[in-house]
Amino acid sequence: MPELSKMKKPDVKVVLLGDMNVGKTSLLHRYTERKFKDTISTVGGAFFLKQWGPYNISIWDTAGREQFHGLGSMYCRGAAAVILTYDVTNWQSLAEIEERFLSLTDTANHDCIYAVVGNKADLTDPKAQMYQDSDVSKDQTECGEARTEPQVLSACPTPPASPASLSGMILHKQVTHEDAVALYGRILRYKGLDEKDSLPAEKMCFETSAKTGYNVDTLFETLFDLVLPSILRKRNENQRSPTVDLEEFRGGSGKRARSTCC
Amino acid sequence: MSVKAFELVPAVERDLLMGDKARINIQCIECCGKHLYVGTNDCFIHHFLLDEVTSSKGKLSYSPQKLLHKYLGLKKPVAELRAASALERLIVLCDGIVFLVDMVTLETVPSAAGGGAKIRGVTAFCVNENPVNGDPFCVEIGVLSSKRRTVQIYMVYEDRVQLVKEVTTPEQPCALSVDGYFLCLALTTQYMILNYKTGASQDLFPYNSEERRPIVKRIGREEFLLAAPGGLGMFANAEGASQRAPVNWSESVLGATVCFPYVVALDESFITIHSMLDQQLKQTLSFRDGHILQDFEGKVILASTKAVYVLVPLPLERQIQDLLANHRVEEALILTEGAQRNIPKDKFQILHKRILQQAGFIQFGQLQFPEAKEHFKKGQLDVRELISLYPLLLPASSTFTRCHPPLHEFADLNHLAHGDQDKVLRCKKFLISYLGEVRSTEVANGCREDVDTALLKLYAEQDHESLLDLLASDNACLLADSVPWLEKYHKYFALGLLYHYNGQDSAALQLWTRVVDGDLQDSTRSDLYEYIVDFLCTCSNLDHVWKYADWALRKDPTIGVHIFIKRPVSTDQSELKPDDVVTYLGKHSQALLLYLEHLVLEKRIQKEKFHTHLAVLYLERVLSLLSESPTDEEQLARARERLQALLRESNLYRVQFLLGKMDKYEQLLLERATLHGKLEEHDKALHILVHKLRDFPSAEAYCIWSSSCRDSAYRQQLFHMLLGVYLDGNLSGKSQTAAGGGSGDLEMAAVDLLNRHGEAFDAVRVLRMLPDGWSLQLLRPFLGRAVRASMHTCRTSQIALGLAHSENLQLLHDRLKVQKKPIFVSEKKGCHLCHNTFTEPDVVCLPGGVPVHTRCVAQRVRDSPTKRQLTNSSKHT
Ligand SMILES: Nc1nc2c(ncn2[C@@H]2O[C@H](COP(=O)(O)OP(=O)(O)O)[C@@H](O)[C@H]2O)c(=O)[nH]1
Ligand SMILES: [Mg+2]
Repeated sequence: MPELSKMKKPDVKVVLLGDMNVGKTSLLHRYTERKFKDTISTVGGAFFLKQWGPYNISIWDTAGREQFHGLGSMYCRGAAAVILTYDVTNWQSLAEIEERFLSLTDTANHDCIYAVVGNKADLTDPKAQMYQDSDVSKDQTECGEARTEPQVLSACPTPPASPASLSGMILHKQVTHEDAVALYGRILRYKGLDEKDSLPAEKMCFETSAKTGYNVDTLFETLFDLVLPSILRKRNENQRSPTVDLEEFRGGSGKRARSTCC
Repeated sequence: MSVKAFELVPAVERDLLMGDKARINIQCIECCGKHLYVGTNDCFIHHFLLDEVTSSKGKLSYSPQKLLHKYLGLKKPVAELRAASALERLIVLCDGIVFLVDMVTLETVPSAAGGGAKIRGVTAFCVNENPVNGDPFCVEIGVLSSKRRTVQIYMVYEDRVQLVKEVTTPEQPCALSVDGYFLCLALTTQYMILNYKTGASQDLFPYNSEERRPIVKRIGREEFLLAAPGGLGMFANAEGASQRAPVNWSESVLGATVCFPYVVALDESFITIHSMLDQQLKQTLSFRDGHILQDFEGKVILASTKAVYVLVPLPLERQIQDLLANHRVEEALILTEGAQRNIPKDKFQILHKRILQQAGFIQFGQLQFPEAKEHFKKGQLDVRELISLYPLLLPASSTFTRCHPPLHEFADLNHLAHGDQDKVLRCKKFLISYLGEVRSTEVANGCREDVDTALLKLYAEQDHESLLDLLASDNACLLADSVPWLEKYHKYFALGLLYHYNGQDSAALQLWTRVVDGDLQDSTRSDLYEYIVDFLCTCSNLDHVWKYADWALRKDPTIGVHIFIKRPVSTDQSELKPDDVVTYLGKHSQALLLYLEHLVLEKRIQKEKFHTHLAVLYLERVLSLLSESPTDEEQLARARERLQALLRESNLYRVQFLLGKMDKYEQLLLERATLHGKLEEHDKALHILVHKLRDFPSAEAYCIWSSSCRDSAYRQQLFHMLLGVYLDGNLSGKSQTAAGGGSGDLEMAAVDLLNRHGEAFDAVRVLRMLPDGWSLQLLRPFLGRAVRASMHTCRTSQIALGLAHSENLQLLHDRLKVQKKPIFVSEKKGCHLCHNTFTEPDVVCLPGGVPVHTRCVAQRVRDSPTKRQLTNSSKHT
C-alpha cells in the first residue's frame, strides 16, 4: 500500500461494517488489489487510500469481532458512506447489521449514505460465480477451481442445464434481495429519513462476490460517485474555516484578558 | 519482521543508581537535553549528565555522570517528574502533592508570597506541550485529583502555581494528555476528548481502565495514541476520529510512544516496534522488568526497575538499506517515503531516487519487470546502469561507469540469471521494451547514442521487427559499433538502412545488391530488389543511379526502368534528362520502350524525336512479329493496336519516314491509311480502306477521326469523298467483280453511309451524285432526314425574317414619335452617356428622345453588340 505512506489527507471516508467473516476485508482486497486471497481476521481495523479523480478517499475496513466493537463509532465518525455488509448464505449476518452495527453509524455525517451489501453471492448465484474479473489473468489465487471452471463453461455455447453442475456447491441463499431492500427501508427509518428523499433501495442494495469480483467495482464506484458532493461540501467548509478560527481566537483572548485581571 | 530500526543502549546502570540496595526501584524518569533525572521509590531524585560517546566503529554508547541526588523528605515514591527547563524547575508528584524543585540544586522551591507552589490530592498530571497560552515563562499542566471527577488546568510559574480552569468529567479520570484546549482522558469505562475551553466532549471508545492500565499519549498536534481493547494501539484525533489504522500490541502494554515512523510499545518482557506506515510489526526487543517507556524531545528512554536505557534509532538510510538487502522493497519504499517530512527536500529527493533505483534492480533481479520498470522510471535511473548489465551492449566508445556505491549486486546478466538462458532472454525482452519506451524521453538525454546502439544490438540479436523502424526513423545508433553486430546477425538490409542514415548510400547499395545477387544471406525483405529500385528512384546522387541502374535493368527491365519512370519530379540537379536516359537505355530495348511510352503516352512530352522513336519501336515490334512463323495473331493484334493508336493520336512523328518503313508491307494497310490521313492524303487513305481493305466501318471511322478537330465543311468534304469512292468503285467494279458481289458491297456501304451520317452531307449534291437506278425506299431514312432538315431550316429563317420585320416597324414608330416633338438641347443639359454638357447643336437622339453627344453614341455603338438598333434610330436635329 504505497499510497498510505504518502500520508495524503483523505477528503472523504467510507467505512465497511458488518459481522466477522462476511468478507469485508476480502471485498476491500478485491477492489484494491484485484485479487482474492486468504485473509486473516482483521485486528482492530485497517484502511486504504483510494485516489478517485482529484480526491482521496479513505476506505476503512473494520473488525467484526465483538472485542473491537467499541471502536466502530470512532471509525464511523465523519463517514460519508457506510457499507453494511452481510453474507448471503447467513441470515444471522443480516440480523447483526441491525442489532449491532447500525447504532455505530450514529457518528457518521448527517448526509451519510448507506449501502447494504450481500457478499459471497458466488455461493448462491451462478451469474456471480461465473463472473470473470477483467484483470483476472494476473493473479494467482488459491481457489483454482473457481477460476478455471467458468472458463471451460464459457467455451460451451449453451448454459449448463442445472446450476448444480457448476463448480462448488450452490448453497442455500438465506437472504434474498427483498430482505436486503426491507432492511434498507428500516435503516432509513432508523435514521429518520424519508424514503422519497433518499437514494432508492434498488440502487443501494448490492450483491457481490469478493471471490469472483462480481459487482465489487460497481459497489465502490457507485458509492464514490455518490459521495462526491460530500467531498465538495467538505472542501468548501475547509475554505471557510479561517473565519471560524478567527472567531474562536477572539473569544479566547477575551477570556484570557479576564483571567489575568482577577 | 526484522527491520533493525532501533538499538537498545544502556544509559544508567544499576550500580550507579542504587548500588546493591535491593529494595530501591526506579519510579519515574525525566530527560532534558543531557540531563537525566530519576525518581525512586525511596523518595530520592537522582540527577545525571548523559554524554553520548561514539566509538571508532560508529557504535553509540552513553557515559553517565552522577551530579547529585536528593531526598525529598516525604518517604513516598516519587511518582512523576517533569522538567520545565525555561523555569529551571522540575515539577514533581510525590505523595499526592505536586510541587516544584530547582533543576540544579534539587531544592524544593518555597512558596512565593502571593500564592502556593503546591497542589494537593493529585493522582496524575501532564504537561501541555502545545499550550494555547504563549507565555514562555509558564507551563500549563493538566491535573487529575483523587477525590473529584474533575480535571484542573494550572499555570506553573517559577515559584507558584495557579489554577486557571476546572472541568468536570462524567466519570473518574485516571490518565490524561493535553494538546491545546483538548484534553484526552481515560475515564473508568471509556476514553474521551474534552475541550476545556468550550466544555464540548467527544466519546472515543469504551475501555475498562480498572481491568487494564489505559494509555493516553499525545503523539502530535491534536493526535493521541490510546490503548484499546484487544491489545490495540488506536489513534484518535481531537475530533474523535481515527486517521491511522491501529497497531496490534499485546494485551499487557505498559507504555507506548511514537518515534516516527514507528510506534514503540513496552510490555512486561518486550519492546515491540510497529510501523505506522503499514501497521506491521517490524522489530521486537526483549526487555525484562521494563516499566517505563517515554520519549523526551524525540529521544525514547526506557527504564526497568533498576536501570535506564535509551532506544536509539538507527539511521534511516541504514534501515532502508537493511530492508533492501533483505529484498523487502515495498517496506523500504514505504519507509523512505514516510520519512519525507523528516528529511530536507533535496536530500530526500536524492535518497528517494536512489532507493527507487535499488528497488527496481531488486525487482529486476526477481524478474518482476513491470514493478522494476515503474521504479526505474520514478527513480529516473540512468538507463546505462541497466544496459551495462548486458555484456557488450554499451558501445565501445561509451564513457559510462556504474555509480558507486553500486545500485545492485549483479556483475552482469549471466551472473544474475545463473546461466539460465530463459531468464537471460526474458531480461533482454524487458530491456528491449524499456529502452523502446525511454529512448525518446529525457531519461535518454545525454546518452542517446548508448541507448540507441544498445537497442539496435538487442533488436538484431532478437530478430526483432522494430529494428527497421529504429533505423528508418531518427536515431543515434553508432555506425562503428553497429556494423559488426548487424553483420553477425545477417541484418544486411538493416545495415544498409544504417549506412543510408549515415549518408553512405554507396555502401548501402553495394550491400543490398549483394544480398539480391545471393552473395549475402538476409531474408528481411523478399522484395529487396524492388526496394533498391525504389531507392534509386528517389536517390539524389545521380552517380549511384547510373551505377546501379544497369544492374537493376539486367535483373528485370520492366521493374528496373521504374528508376527512371517513377522518379519524382524535382527541379534541382538530380533531375534526369530524358535524352540521357534514352541514350542510356539503348542497350535495354525493353526498358527503352517502356521509358518512351512513359515519356510520350503518360507525360505527353511533345518532342518529335521521342514520338518517332516510339513509333519506330512499335513498328519494329510489329514487323518482327510478322516475320515469325507461325505468327502469334493475338500478340500481333495487340502490337498493331498500339502502333495504330500512336499513329492516330500523335501528330509529332515523322510521317514520311514511317511511311517509307512500311511501304513494303501489304499487311500494314490500315497503318498506312492512317499515315496518309496524317498527310491529308485522304483519297489515298480512303482508297486503301475501301478498295484494298474493304473495311467500311474503318473508312467511316477514318472520316470522323480525320475531321475530328476541323469544321463541319471539312467533315462534309471527307464524307462526300468517301461516298464518291463508294460510288466510283461501284461503277467501275460493276463488270469486274460482279461474281464476287463486291460492287453490291460498295453500294450497300454507300447507302449505309448516307442513312447513318445523313447530316454530314449536302443532300442536293448527294442526289446529283447518286445513280439513277437507286430506289427511293433504299434511301428513305437519308431522304426523310434531309427533307426534314431542309424544312426546318426554311421555317427557322422565315421566323427570323418575321421577327426582323416587326422590329423594324417598331423602330419606325419610335422614330415618327420622336420627330413630332422638339428635342431640347442646352448648355445646361448633360449628355446621358458621358454627363458632360452640350457645346454644339449636333446631337443624336436615343429612343425616347434622349439627346446625347454624337461621339458618345458612336462610342457606344462601337462597344455594343446591338449596333443596328441605334444607328437606325439616330437622327440629327
Ligand atoms: N465464497 C466466498 N467466500 C468469501 C467471499 N468473501 C470472503 N470470503 C471468505 O470468507 C471468509 C472471511 O472473509 P474476510 O474477508 O476475512 O471477512 P471479514 O471478517 O468480514 O473481513 C474468508 O475465508 C474468505 O475467504 C466471497 O465473496 N465468496
Ligand atoms: Mg476482516
